[in-house]
Amino acid sequence: MSVLELAGVHTYYGDSHILEGVDLDVSEGEVVALAGRNGVGKTTTLRTILQLTPPREGEITFRGESLVGLETHDVAARGLGWIPEDRRIFGQLTVEENLRAAIPEPGDVAAGLDLAFESFPILEERRGQDAGTLSGGQQQMLAIARGLVGDNDLLLVDEPSEGLAPQIVADVAEALSRASEDVTMLLVEQNLPLALDLADRFYILDKGRVVDEGETAAVSADDERFRRYLSA
Amino acid sequence: MYDVLLNSPVSAEAQTLLPTVETMVGVLYFGLFAISFDFVSGYTGYLSFGHAVFYGTGAYTVILVANGKVPLLGPGTPFMLSLLVGGLLAVVLAILVGLVSFRLSGVYFAMITLGFAQVLYVFVRGWDYVANNPRDGPAVGPSHVEGFQIGVPGVDQLSLAIGVLTGDEVSLLGSTLSSTAVSYYMVGLVVLGCYFAMQRIIHSPFGRVLLAIRENEERAVAVGYNTYLYKLGAFAISGFFAAVAGGLFAGFRRSASPENSFYFLVTGDALLASIIGGFGTLAGPLYGRLFDETVREFLSPAGQGGGLLPYLRALLGQETLDAAVVGNETVGGLIDLLLNGHASLYVGIVFVLFVLYVPDGLLGTLRSRVGGTFAEAVPARIWGDDR
Repeated sequence: MSVLELAGVHTYYGDSHILEGVDLDVSEGEVVALAGRNGVGKTTTLRTILQLTPPREGEITFRGESLVGLETHDVAARGLGWIPEDRRIFGQLTVEENLRAAIPEPGDVAAGLDLAFESFPILEERRGQDAGTLSGGQQQMLAIARGLVGDNDLLLVDEPSEGLAPQIVADVAEALSRASEDVTMLLVEQNLPLALDLADRFYILDKGRVVDEGETAAVSADDERFRRYLSA
Repeated sequence: MYDVLLNSPVSAEAQTLLPTVETMVGVLYFGLFAISFDFVSGYTGYLSFGHAVFYGTGAYTVILVANGKVPLLGPGTPFMLSLLVGGLLAVVLAILVGLVSFRLSGVYFAMITLGFAQVLYVFVRGWDYVANNPRDGPAVGPSHVEGFQIGVPGVDQLSLAIGVLTGDEVSLLGSTLSSTAVSYYMVGLVVLGCYFAMQRIIHSPFGRVLLAIRENEERAVAVGYNTYLYKLGAFAISGFFAAVAGGLFAGFRRSASPENSFYFLVTGDALLASIIGGFGTLAGPLYGRLFDETVREFLSPAGQGGGLLPYLRALLGQETLDAAVVGNETVGGLIDLLLNGHASLYVGIVFVLFVLYVPDGLLGTLRSRVGGTFAEAVPARIWGDDR
């Protein structure tokens, strides 16, 4: 059963036509990767789903309910979590305050903190530290942990491995893999091996449209289909 | 302490450097206004350029209530109740202004709040219900000769009147506290209470969301917070305390004018205090105002109490002052040229220097030096982090 469906979605930034009729769906319990070169509209797709950049045309439904026209906080309240690129943490709040802020009332704060600290033990050691003073890798862990603790049904994950050291990428991948047992994910990731490793299905986006899709089990990162659309 | 210094061998220097008690009362009530400005602007990142309208609302409410010009509230209404009424009126006003203004952000928000405030400023300047000459503003009328009492309404033993001429004097341990000194302590009590209330709000989950909005509003929205309502709530709370500050100002001065309450430059002074004291520090704007007033008084024109100008005149003596420096220009003339009436110029220079070299302000810089707020950092240094 589809949790999320996009049908003929067109999104613009001013006069720039970014998404030119995107169609995709994500089923319950799946991890779906969204691949493509820089600038083809992957992040815009996530922003459009969240209504941060609302579409001008098309339909977006979550569990059968249209999201188009809703306020972003109402979208989030329906169980959509966002792990944005560039680690948009709240730098002047402590690690713990960041996590608490990600659990709106009447969420179970203690359970959320346990989940975050279990996934990333370093965050427990730094729980009282201002998040802005964490290393880049730790900030990414915190950004992911915030997505995990929000009791979300669907996580929109944007470039989780961007700019991280290989060891940190492995930790992040492991945390996302564990999280995927409980939550459905739509994953935007440039690191194709990582994306294919985590995802069940993939979509390739090019010039604002879905140009290919399939099961990840049937492909490898050096597949012709990826080389055609992802190589520079 | 102040009296001790003024009666010591360094009395001349103390008088030159220290602001008067009357100035300090002004630092307190205006400091509260600047704190309320910082509450919304420093903690959400939305610059409320029309904040003076709430200060003016509080000030005018107190005077109009005292003059029996507010329906259902007679001249005998306790001052504390007038402060509350002024605060609640400001809350209503803030919600009305905020409902429109928070649809915008950045410079547009600043401009629309300024626009609303200017509309009200022009309105009160022409509203002859408030005073015979509304351009000069209202003053407390003869029907209310006694000072405004701060304390527990209806209990005289737990209340003291404020005001330079109308305030109570208090005999304590063989010495007498002047009415101005009593005003200082009583106004200070209200300011302290308001500060702690705002501090509690900032450290509550509500305050954490405000910080999240300042840091990254888009992210806060995506977490599920209706940031519009949070900002509106912060604006209303801030408006309430701004009105209390305005009420204290009117209670102490017993008059107000559109220029010293509703005008946009009043907000400018709060912005100045916030930048000098430290934006987003809450207490910082109070220190910023103290710094601002101290510099202004230190450089105050001749004949306005202490300050550098009369100090130099007394120190140098008439003979030196009359001595020629260049052409017909005397030492006294040169000092006058540089110092007399130029306080605003020097404050402006200080402001520029703060923006350039102390961007975190006085308190913000001190906090970053000690590694947190004093309440956290000082005990941690004394007892260690493992208390």
